[in-house]
Amino acid sequence: MVGGARNSARELAKEFTFSSGRALFLAFSTLLIVVLAAAPAPAAGGAPLPQNQPVAPVTDFTQRCLTCHSQPYLGQVEVDGRAKSLFVDPTAYKDSVHGLLPCNACHTGFTPDPHQMVSNAEFFAQTAGEACRNCHDDQFEMYKQSYHGTLSRSGSAESEKAPLCVDCHGSHAIQKVNTLAYRQGIQDVCGRCHGGREATYLDTYHGKAVTLGRQAAATCVDCHGSHSILPVANPQSTLSQANILGTCRRCHPEASKGFTTFLVHITPTSPKAPLVVFLVAMFYLVLIIAVFSFGGVHTLLYIYRGLKDGLYFRKGGH
Amino acid sequence: MTMGTDAKEGVRLVYRRFSTFHRFNHYLAMLSFFGLVLTGIPLKFKESYFSKLLIDGLGGVEAAGFIHRTMAVINILYFVLETGYMVYYVAARKGPIFGDDSIVPGKKDWQDMKGMFRWFFGRGPKPALNRFTYWEKFDYWALFAGTILIGGSGLMMWFPEATARLLPGVALNVALVVHSNEAFLATGVIFIFVHFFSAHGRPESFPADEVIFSGYIPVEHYIHERPLEYENRLKNGTLDQVVTPAPPAPRRRLFRWITGLVTLFAFLAATYTLLLIVWPLVS
Ligand code: HEC
Ligand code: HEC
Ligand code: HEC
Ligand code: HEC
Ligand code: HEC
Ligand code: HEC
Ligand code: HEC
Ligand code: HEM
Repeated sequence: MVGGARNSARELAKEFTFSSGRALFLAFSTLLIVVLAAAPAPAAGGAPLPQNQPVAPVTDFTQRCLTCHSQPYLGQVEVDGRAKSLFVDPTAYKDSVHGLLPCNACHTGFTPDPHQMVSNAEFFAQTAGEACRNCHDDQFEMYKQSYHGTLSRSGSAESEKAPLCVDCHGSHAIQKVNTLAYRQGIQDVCGRCHGGREATYLDTYHGKAVTLGRQAAATCVDCHGSHSILPVANPQSTLSQANILGTCRRCHPEASKGFTTFLVHITPTSPKAPLVVFLVAMFYLVLIIAVFSFGGVHTLLYIYRGLKDGLYFRKGGH
Repeated sequence: MTMGTDAKEGVRLVYRRFSTFHRFNHYLAMLSFFGLVLTGIPLKFKESYFSKLLIDGLGGVEAAGFIHRTMAVINILYFVLETGYMVYYVAARKGPIFGDDSIVPGKKDWQDMKGMFRWFFGRGPKPALNRFTYWEKFDYWALFAGTILIGGSGLMMWFPEATARLLPGVALNVALVVHSNEAFLATGVIFIFVHFFSAHGRPESFPADEVIFSGYIPVEHYIHERPLEYENRLKNGTLDQVVTPAPPAPRRRLFRWITGLVTLFAFLAATYTLLLIVWPLVS
């Protein structure tokens, strides 16, 4: 539903029609075109821009949308009870992989003049998923086949909970995915909905090493896939009986079938863990508590007696 | 205080407690243990700000892993030497295996412990302790057993693919639980509760006991600290085996420096480890 932003929107729109505003805006955007025209073109790689898409003069268009949307006081819209900020951080946008795209590359049909108000769930669902399809068809097709993708289109009560492209990538500050920073963030991306799995993963070497900055250790998606995630029971899954060995072997070339039975998602201190693991974990829990308590008490009493009898600073030894 | 008395140039006779071999082995154990704790514990407490700081300072997880493995090799070396010595000691009957002068725990240790608690509460005199006190024996055997467990599980984690060829995959889960917990236990025992206190915190050793570095203590201390061994040796006439003239002054100064530096480092390492562990709990 639409929040309190509408009134201010109307006012803003009116303001925008004032000639002084326009003159200022034109001057500003011209300046920007000049500056940005001199900027280097985006590096090659990733999905190429489709040829047939009408691409508006990049910076001018973007800047016009940002005249309003870079204002923090623009407020929020409410979509299905969730507040979404209308603010788009211009620097973050410029620094994102899509920084040179005009806003309507994703927001098709939007024009900078006071635009239609379409704050409804469909609009958002459509932008969050389909908008990316134009340029990232490969990922979209894979995603469509995945468990998340199927779930999101299933129309069931659960479908709301399935992640769309934006849930994993964000919208206006999308970054390259092959960086350490992005890899370190993956656990939290998935952890938003799979918190328990994140916690157990973080107890393994992979999770610890990634957290502390080792790019080569496995993240969730190195094992599960990113756009092709399927339940492990599905034979197509990267972790199915047939595929798991190949998945581990990408980084552990010496891996054997037995290696793949290492358990990634267990809590050793839970009775649901395999019995040996549980017993060993319990043994240590008791041992550590016992040794530390006894050692602590012994130490404190020793110090107490030493101080009481003045043994610590006695001249000439004991 | 050991250091204080030692500083007096008047010391002439010393009691030789540790041989060159034992001191050498302690250097190996100490160096490798510091290295292993500083490169291993941050992984366990990965969410701590201080872990990140340390790992980044060392040059990243891979560099820390390399140091961890290098130190592990030294740690295993010390263990092999110590075990070899133990076998030699028993086979060649170098000394008593049981009894007052031995490192093997006995009934007297239990009585000593009860005696110490009576003393703590002011209910009796401080017991005449053995050549090796019960906490020293605990320290020694805990580290000995711990090294087997931590080294074994560590090797499994170092070579997970090879391990999984011999054992089921769940063995790697067990190895992780053992390694992680044993490391935590050992760090607590060494850095905080037992060893650190024994070497630096007791009235008898405060602020640092240099015997493990120099090998000797002044005889007056010896008579006071190990009365039972002294009496035994006096009785069976073996006292002159262990009592020798003190080494020359420059050598004594060198050991004082070493002890001072190690104490400083140990104190910093212990503080750092504590910070690392406590940080996630308070932040
Ligand atoms: C005159 C100021 C202004 C300009 C220029 C402007 N917008 Fe908006 N925009 C708004 C306001 C106000 C809202 C909140 C509308 C509401 O409450 O429904 C909004 C909402 C949106 C939304 C959220 C969907 C919705 O309708 O609620 C999107 C997406 C959007 N704008 C994109 C753009 C794009 C893309 C441009 C440039 C082509 C642009 N806007 C230019 C003021 C502006
Ligand atoms: C790479 C595609 C893409 C581009 C380019 C893009 N957006 Fe968006 N935008 C999205 C997506 C996806 C959403 C829906 C986000 C959600 O559901 O959280 C969105 C949502 C919005 C909203 C609604 C509030 C919000 O943040 O969810 C506004 C306003 C908006 N965009 C403005 C802009 C403006 C202004 C530009 C140009 C500077 C722009 N967008 C460029 C993908 C894009
Ligand atoms: C469940 C989370 C998730 C969803 C949903 C998701 N992605 Fe991704 N995406 C990732 C991750 C993680 C990566 C990092 C690549 C990797 O390591 O596999 C990635 C990588 C990418 C890349 C870089 C190229 C590549 O394939 O590695 C693009 C482009 C991309 N995603 C686009 C999309 C689009 C478009 C959608 C929606 C159709 C989408 N993603 C949905 C998680 C997701
Ligand atoms: C108009 C075409 C276009 C649209 C629409 C678009 N992208 Fe992109 N995207 C690109 C281009 C071009 C790149 C490569 C940029 C570069 O390499 O610097 C890219 C890069 C990416 C990357 C980084 C890939 C990598 O190699 O690391 C991700 C992730 C991504 N896009 C996700 C999305 C998502 C999610 C959406 C929908 C919200 C979307 N894109 C919409 C054109 C588009
Ligand atoms: C926005 C929430 C959300 C995000 C983010 C998300 N998932 Fe999911 N995921 C779901 C939901 C909902 C299901 C269906 C759960 C069910 O059926 O019980 C699911 C199912 C799965 C399944 C199928 C097995 C199962 O539990 O039924 C796997 C595997 C999975 N997700 C992995 C991931 C990974 C890996 C990531 C990160 C790249 C991720 N998910 C990100 C919501 C999310
Ligand atoms: C080293 C590989 C590996 C990594 C890394 C990994 N997983 Fe898993 N995951 C597995 C395996 C194997 C299973 C199947 C066994 C099980 O359920 O524990 C699984 C099961 C799952 C399931 C249930 C799937 C089903 O079909 O029931 C979810 C959800 C999941 N993982 C999410 C995650 C998330 C989220 C992360 C990152 C925080 C992650 N995984 C990291 C290997 C991995
Ligand atoms: C993206 C790469 C990658 C993938 C995929 C991967 N791993 Fe790893 N894994 C690593 C790295 C890197 C190490 C650290 C190896 C080292 O330093 O010797 C590691 C270490 C391990 C260890 C030893 C950690 C320890 O010390 O306990 C186990 C066990 C392990 N992985 C299991 C698996 C299993 C099982 C799979 C498949 C389900 C898998 N890994 C998939 C990168 C990966
Ligand atoms: C003696 C032989 C040892 C070997 C072979 C060994 C080996 C390993 C290996 C391979 C790892 C995996 C992480 C990495 O690669 O860095 C590891 C982790 C670790 N090591 Fe060791 N190590 C040894 C001794 C020790 C000791 C003495 C301590 C500390 C007292 C220690 C503490 C740790 C800790 C805390 C971890 C992280 C465990 C976790 O994930 O929670 N290690 N060790």
